[in-house]
Amino acid sequence: MNDYKLVGKDFTPPDVMGKVTGKAKYAEDFRVDGMVFARMYTSPMAHGKVTHIDASAAEAMDGVIGILTADDVPAVEAPNGAILTNSPAFIGDPILAVAAVDEKTAEDALAAIKITIEPLPFVTDPLDSLIAGGPDAREEGNVYARSREGSGFRTVKWTKEQIDDFRAGKEPTGEFAAEWKYGDLDKGFADAKVIIEENFVTTGYAHMSMEPRTAMAYWQNGTCYVHGSAQSHTFWMPGLARLLGIETKDLVLISENTGGGFGSKIGAYPIAALPGYFSKKIGRPVQLRVTGEQEYYMGSARVGFQGWIRMGFAENGKATATDVFIIEDIGANATGGDASSAGGAISLVYDPDAMRFRGLPVLTNTTPRGAQRGPGQNQIAAVMAPIMDKAARELGLDPLAVRKINAANNATTVYEEQRGVTSAYLEEALTMGAEMFDWENRRQQPKKNGSKVRGLGIGQGYHSAGATGFDGLIRITPDGKLHIHTGVGNLGTYSFASTSRAAAEVLKCDWENCEIHNGHSEKNLPWNSYQAGSVSTFAHTRTNYVAAMDALRKMKLIAADTMGGEPDDYDIDGQRVFLTENAAQGMSYGAIAARAIQLGGEYSGQTYPDDINEITQRSVQNLAGSGLVGVAKDNLPQEGTIPGLACAFVEIELDLETGKYEILDYVGIAECGTVLFPAGLAQQMKGGAVWGMGMAALERHVYDPQYGLPANVGYHQCGIPTYLDVPSVTRTGAVDIADPQNPFGARGIGEPAMGCSVAALTSAISDALDGHIFGRTPVSPDMIVNHVTGRDQSFLPLQTNNF
Amino acid sequence: MASFDVMPDIQLYQPVELDDALSLAERYGDGGWVLGGGQDTYGWLKDRAKNPQAMIDLSGIDSLRGIRTTDDGIEIGATTTLREIIRDERINRDFSLLAQAAGRVASPQIRNVGTLGGNLSQDTRCWYYRRGLACYRAGGNLCYADGPESMNREHAVLGASRCVAVSPSDTATAMVALEAMMVVASASGVRSIAAEDFFVGPATHITQMTALEPGEILTAVRIPSKWAGQRFYFEKVADRDVWDFALVSIAVAMRLEGDSIAESRFVCGGVACTPHRLKNVESAARGNSLSEASADAIAPLASAGAIPLNYNHFKLPLMENLVRRAMRG
Amino acid sequence: MNPQLSRRRFIKAVIASSVAAASSTGFHSALAQDRPRGAVERLISLNINGQTRRVDVAPQEMLAHTLRYKLSLTGTKISCNRGECGTCTVLIDGITNYSCSTLTHSVRSRAVQTVEGLQAADGTLHPVQQAFIDELSPQCGFCTPGQVMSAVALLNENPTPTREEARQAMSGNLCRCGAYDHYLNGVMRASGQSS
Repeated sequence: MNDYKLVGKDFTPPDVMGKVTGKAKYAEDFRVDGMVFARMYTSPMAHGKVTHIDASAAEAMDGVIGILTADDVPAVEAPNGAILTNSPAFIGDPILAVAAVDEKTAEDALAAIKITIEPLPFVTDPLDSLIAGGPDAREEGNVYARSREGSGFRTVKWTKEQIDDFRAGKEPTGEFAAEWKYGDLDKGFADAKVIIEENFVTTGYAHMSMEPRTAMAYWQNGTCYVHGSAQSHTFWMPGLARLLGIETKDLVLISENTGGGFGSKIGAYPIAALPGYFSKKIGRPVQLRVTGEQEYYMGSARVGFQGWIRMGFAENGKATATDVFIIEDIGANATGGDASSAGGAISLVYDPDAMRFRGLPVLTNTTPRGAQRGPGQNQIAAVMAPIMDKAARELGLDPLAVRKINAANNATTVYEEQRGVTSAYLEEALTMGAEMFDWENRRQQPKKNGSKVRGLGIGQGYHSAGATGFDGLIRITPDGKLHIHTGVGNLGTYSFASTSRAAAEVLKCDWENCEIHNGHSEKNLPWNSYQAGSVSTFAHTRTNYVAAMDALRKMKLIAADTMGGEPDDYDIDGQRVFLTENAAQGMSYGAIAARAIQLGGEYSGQTYPDDINEITQRSVQNLAGSGLVGVAKDNLPQEGTIPGLACAFVEIELDLETGKYEILDYVGIAECGTVLFPAGLAQQMKGGAVWGMGMAALERHVYDPQYGLPANVGYHQCGIPTYLDVPSVTRTGAVDIADPQNPFGARGIGEPAMGCSVAALTSAISDALDGHIFGRTPVSPDMIVNHVTGRDQSFLPLQTNNF
Repeated sequence: MASFDVMPDIQLYQPVELDDALSLAERYGDGGWVLGGGQDTYGWLKDRAKNPQAMIDLSGIDSLRGIRTTDDGIEIGATTTLREIIRDERINRDFSLLAQAAGRVASPQIRNVGTLGGNLSQDTRCWYYRRGLACYRAGGNLCYADGPESMNREHAVLGASRCVAVSPSDTATAMVALEAMMVVASASGVRSIAAEDFFVGPATHITQMTALEPGEILTAVRIPSKWAGQRFYFEKVADRDVWDFALVSIAVAMRLEGDSIAESRFVCGGVACTPHRLKNVESAARGNSLSEASADAIAPLASAGAIPLNYNHFKLPLMENLVRRAMRG
Repeated sequence: MNPQLSRRRFIKAVIASSVAAASSTGFHSALAQDRPRGAVERLISLNINGQTRRVDVAPQEMLAHTLRYKLSLTGTKISCNRGECGTCTVLIDGITNYSCSTLTHSVRSRAVQTVEGLQAADGTLHPVQQAFIDELSPQCGFCTPGQVMSAVALLNENPTPTREEARQAMSGNLCRCGAYDHYLNGVMRASGQSS
């Protein structure tokens, strides 16, 4: 066991107080003198060209300050999302905005605007576009493939027979856009005792953060101040500056609290720049409160999958081969990459001897897609769990044993390149979870009780959980305080605070003596990673570690310079630097900081390393002379994939007559290296569990294909899980084995926390229904009732964006 | 479209006497919007999908609120909140069916302010209609929900006529089961309507969910003592257990003589534009005991006459299953 | 005296006009000159957190709007603005309401309590607030003020609820982060029944 003072200990993050008192400010809580309110007109058509805008009546209205159209903002090339567009590609695509003295006047003005849109063909299901003669979601084509060799549009069509065969469960034979493989696939299947073949659909549904993507902006002396809803902080800066057409030095981003992101606010999104342009045009601060409906339209959604998989297993349950083909529903704006990530996840979590991935990203005129908690990994987790169960059944093995024999470990090699992992202990996680859950015993319990039947499920989740190369910046002031500057965004995971404690741990500072500076560019923040991909824990314990080590080096140099001897003769504790031989001889951190200011140079930030980002450089320049500055880029060695892993065990009681099920027990185990912040980890594991429960049963994305109309523009219709749809208690645990490539042994967990949950549920549903595989998320009560009563499902096989 | 989100200009009247409310309702006619708790109102107005001239807020009229004993049962004022109904001792004792149904409405906050009158009079949740499309129900000449590819999982399997929307009210099924009478006032007088006739389908009136005409206000609901303390069964199947409307619900009142059913009322919600009485189930149930065998025998009758749309044939077995559960005892 | 008899027969009609409705947001002097003529008739007194506040309220105005845009009480959040999420939950005469779906004119004679009204004068947190800190209940925090208010209303009425009672009482508040378990832990702790 380690002897950390802070790592692995609970604490109260500094922002919690503001959250419980209502004092925490989100973008829409800010008011400045002269501020006006903007409202958007969004496209009523799924695809079209704006041919005429008559805003004269609106402009003449009392209280209307101005109108912003696509002509006022930079044009972007399809399929990228624009701030405002004259070529809407989904219902809800923003076309113009009105600013007025209040929101109602702005809406009155919108009601008076006449916009003429010439309709273009549209499509809401990838297979309807892919079929010969089917409509294309964009004039440029129906497929947008991103690759290292170059990204671009193309038009791909399959014959009706190819589509029909795919729907019928056969291996797809149509054109694809991406492929990778490793190992000998034919040999893998030849070695298999059992081969499972399934097709599947995972609906891509909306993020629906509680805080819509509201933004407010104004200009002062050439600097644009933006109050935004940002998932990451400094990582937003280059993108937002680019959207605004300014340099990062002329941008101040304020985002101290963000009401959830889940991948939808990773980098600056176009609409965040709207108030900046509007403010510049009308000379007033502009707030754009995005409505719940608009948040659905432009808040992005998960990429949907329509796929086929063939998987071979040896007699002992070992996966010998996987062949997977995934069509991605990438919406109108072509962000994604989920499919290949899903393939990567298979290669890691189930570690087949040979594998082939093929993918085809197809555009639809539906909400823009983007990363959503475990993008790709979590969709495939839901698909894989019942397949693993089926393999176990056909081989006469315990489903747990099949997971264990394939579980990722330190020798696992992953992805196309078959590179290694930093460390992985999925088998240990499974063992721990099975024990907490009492898997063996529960397996022996009777299943059926009247109309109710119990189902047991095991799920596994994975996401690569780390990044490197970002900067750390800390400062000790003459009052002895440690200031940790962090560009980590505050989206509700507390990682901005928990990773900051790494610096205090290195410097053996009392936490009460530390202050975190975050959420505001003027607080002089370093260049930090995106708060996504479960990377923050790994990436920013490292950045704070290297900054603290830099400070430690400087403190020892100052001590030796002041008190004699060599730097190595000194040690630290109790916020003092002292001679190891004679602890009485030393200096307080405050005195060291004062000395650093006198010495100048690198000690107080007058000079700094060449390799730090320009954003970090400017922050250091601003802080120079105010204390002892520790600043460094994370150049620590790193090799291999950094896995965040989790597994879950669930018991449900499914009512065969209503199609509803209750979750009786849930155990989630994290395998994320050393536990950094136990309460925060529990929150991630439990929140992730709720997300998985939503994906498995409730969250939907429904479009009327005839009109391109979305049916579910709010929380109600989207089916966000409530208190009563999830268990009152969820149990969690952690393996807590240090990863060798992080100074504290920590890796991330946010995304696997969800993947294991949705997988455990699809597994449990299948178990309750004697092994039936729906091959689809969400599984809704109507599907269960139809199955149990022997009726066909209402939708076509592989249909998506439907009920 | 503009994705409107804030309340537009509209007049607000807050009368404290019913007569004043009635004269306002008469004066405004179609342009007046009678407000109970407002929970099914503000979305329509914020969306600007409905544009009445004035809101007539009944919440200040004391005479419309409260639960009273009558010669034959109880009378519940129309602005009595669902919260009050759920907590009322007498209702829980005699008409627990209503308390149960009210307890499954939406969410606690909505039940705190949502009124019985409002819950009974609420508009359908057809998502096409709610988007403000010019469908039959909105005065147009098309049903968006009944096209060959329409997304109509939550729509009607019974009683459709051009429009395929369903009644969303949880308390409406209970009222029909309990043979409640609706007391309706207007400037020209008071009439009472049996619950079964109060809810109207599209064949009767395609732009209304109830028999309330412009100028009329639902003032109270009278529940006769006939079913007081009898055997009840209520169940609502919805996707989420908070907020969501019934995919299918059932409200059953049964009078047992010895072991056998002497009389019963079976009413399904979520399957037709009105609460749907399962009359053939009721007659088949007569004389039967509550048992697995009678449940199996009678349940298949539940979906008789149902015609499913593209996405809702699951409602047929679901109706049957809910009857089965009610009959099991 | 019977309040019903003492109340005079009265129809309150609040007249709206587009001019009147283009009123100032109440936050900044720059717009003060836009304050409409004749808006005085819409000046009403509200009892917010035990204080009487005089406010110019449009007839159709929602309480969440009045609180946030006119009284600077931004602790009450607007998310769905449709009664579908609970972030705007406030107490009216002690009962939870969605303030996005409550006419401000309907709370004229009633006591409104918002998250800003919970702390004691000396800054001591309400037990629910303290428990939510101790249990690390919030994640992103946007739903937290609404969760706090639902918990406060529950404990006022039922000081020692079971976990299931708490779950039911809190169920009109969505949390997209899925922090339900930790919120329930907080409610149980606040009621003195440590989770």
